[in-house]
Amino acid sequence: MVNTQISKPDDNGWVELNMGPQHPSTHGVLRLKVKLDGEIVKEIEPVIGYLHRNAEKICELDYYCDSLIYFDRMDYVGAMNMEVGYLEAAEKLLGIPPPERAQWIRVVMAELNRIAAHLVWAGAYGLDLGMLTPFFYCFVEREKVLRIFTEVCGSRQETNYMSIGGVYQDFNDKIIHDILEFTEQFPKKLEDIFSSFVKNDIFIARTKGIGILEPEVALDYGVTGPMLRASGVEYDVRKAEPYLVYDKINFDIPVSYRKDNLARFLVRFEEMRQSIKIINQAVKKIPDGPYFNPKAKKSLMIRLRGEGEVYARTESSKGEFSVYLVGDGGVKPYRLRVRSPSLKNLSILPYLAKDTMIADLVAISGTLDLVFGEVDR
Amino acid sequence: MNVLTRLADFFAALGHYPAYVLAYLFETLFMIVFVMVSFIVMIYLFRKYMARLQLRIGPNRVGKFGTLQLMADALKLVGKESILPAGRDDLPFRIAPLIVFIGLIMGFALLPYGPLYYIGSLTVTHSDVSLLLLFAALAIMPIGEILAGVSSKNKYAIVGALRGVAKDVSFEVPMMISVLALVMMASARTANPLNLTNLVEVQFIPYGIPQIIGLGVFFIAMVARASFSPFDMGESDSELVTGHTTEYTGMRFGLFYIGLFGSIFLSSLIVSLLYLGGYNGPYSSYLGFIYLLIKALILVLVSFTIWLSVPRIRIDRFVNMGWKYLLPASIINLIIAGIITLGVGI
Repeated sequence: MVNTQISKPDDNGWVELNMGPQHPSTHGVLRLKVKLDGEIVKEIEPVIGYLHRNAEKICELDYYCDSLIYFDRMDYVGAMNMEVGYLEAAEKLLGIPPPERAQWIRVVMAELNRIAAHLVWAGAYGLDLGMLTPFFYCFVEREKVLRIFTEVCGSRQETNYMSIGGVYQDFNDKIIHDILEFTEQFPKKLEDIFSSFVKNDIFIARTKGIGILEPEVALDYGVTGPMLRASGVEYDVRKAEPYLVYDKINFDIPVSYRKDNLARFLVRFEEMRQSIKIINQAVKKIPDGPYFNPKAKKSLMIRLRGEGEVYARTESSKGEFSVYLVGDGGVKPYRLRVRSPSLKNLSILPYLAKDTMIADLVAISGTLDLVFGEVDR
Repeated sequence: MNVLTRLADFFAALGHYPAYVLAYLFETLFMIVFVMVSFIVMIYLFRKYMARLQLRIGPNRVGKFGTLQLMADALKLVGKESILPAGRDDLPFRIAPLIVFIGLIMGFALLPYGPLYYIGSLTVTHSDVSLLLLFAALAIMPIGEILAGVSSKNKYAIVGALRGVAKDVSFEVPMMISVLALVMMASARTANPLNLTNLVEVQFIPYGIPQIIGLGVFFIAMVARASFSPFDMGESDSELVTGHTTEYTGMRFGLFYIGLFGSIFLSSLIVSLLYLGGYNGPYSSYLGFIYLLIKALILVLVSFTIWLSVPRIRIDRFVNMGWKYLLPASIINLIIAGIITLGVGI
């Protein structure tokens, strides 16, 4: 029986509107059940799970070294950061620290990927607001990062570049040259993209003062990453609890006290500038030496056994990405659990977008930087 | 001498009445061909221009330089199954795209295109109130859009239609007041300023110069009428899927698509006729049409640039803008026009 009637308003006079999972504004498979009073959004209920692939359980059925590819596919626009997150936990559990050269290489790759992920976000946010052109300028720049990735590990997005005890392939001079070339020309392009947004009065009108997130609320909901820093909380795992070699690098944490959509935009752009700063320092500081720990030779990889509990925190482009890993002495993890920043950031949406207009709901959900591979895992 | 008498002369051997009947038919046919060709050029131009602006190449596979891409797309649209939603209001759903299209064609039919060498005046409709008829025809298109939104029985479409109504109400009043200022200014020089031909021909100085505020208001209103970014709240693709066209497929959607590009060209023609001197210029009795086309094309490119680089404005802000800024601006423009008409007399 086909329902030929639009659903009637409920007792409050609100109409329920279903946005997603196939909806252009929810880049990904987010579904929002929205109650509307005219144009005003009264209630939002996010429905997730459309991209659930059971990654955590699959990882428990695999050897420690094999789980990495599932992390690539979590935050698929920032795969390097996911790999760093998993390896932080796995290497701690297995007791195979990466050599220093590999740590520096990881920092370079993670920051390059942070830039790429933020560029995807900026372009998509422009599309959310109806700006068609900046998207392409962002993707041209991102393409240059992906070229570097292809050069290093043969893959563009799901890189699978790092491995337990180091990285899969060493940097050579050409790669370092490419990276330096990129960091040299990128800041100017970034300013072009930046000004194409902020010099536009309508963009400012759509973002300024909209979606205000108070720092106390953000902390209550467990919001992390650029979202939290845009609310004025100076928290970044790279500084608060440095991993890899972030404590040897000089960089700042961008914080904005505006708390609104514009603040999140500005924080992400400033993060890209800081990433360039980090890459420039790290590339020059990469020491000589082995690029993987000899204890993690490929032939020995599946025999690695871990025992105990480990919780490792890293800062991905979305926020605090942590992995909880329990080993029972076997070759496979007993339990693996991921704290996904996107999921926590999504949980703030019903609070943020209440009593705004549909247009603002889209403008706000755009700033959350959701990647559904990571939300649903 | 105009295109009608030329054609009648051509068919003169058939006798007076058959010649004129045939001439009218051919004139209409030429008009429709012109409109169709302009749509095709417009969409091709848009795609190529958008691609250049976005560091892309644009269509370049079908035909030389991708010129036949639009044909391929049109064939694709015609060949597609036209899916009709189960809960639709049948008749309005079917005629809504036609209303949009007919309103558009009527708008084109009412414009004075000016003279072109040898052929003479290209104006199709000769009416003493063509200005009023033009805006009446323009007011038909939103009816089709609202009908489409309401009859689809889709919540996105209804919200899109609601936004469309709110938008139309807020820009039409300032738009008509700006036009009133034009009529006032033209009435000092011509006995019948409601005739578009007269209104264009009295513009020794383009009216956009003394009425720069009116030009601004009218152009904003025309962008809103054509409904592209920043005023595409009605079909805002990231919020309402595609607003009132959400449930349309196949050629019915194609008509809405044509309506969008057609109304960009139509608005550019109207703005250049009313404010930029239309087909006036040196040797305008030979080149008038070319002048008009050049002005319109420049305006089309300006519109495309705005479309591609500006985010969408929120509907409440647009309504605010309509009543708080455009309306006072158009009234100020009216006052200025009155002072100029009485004092200087352009």
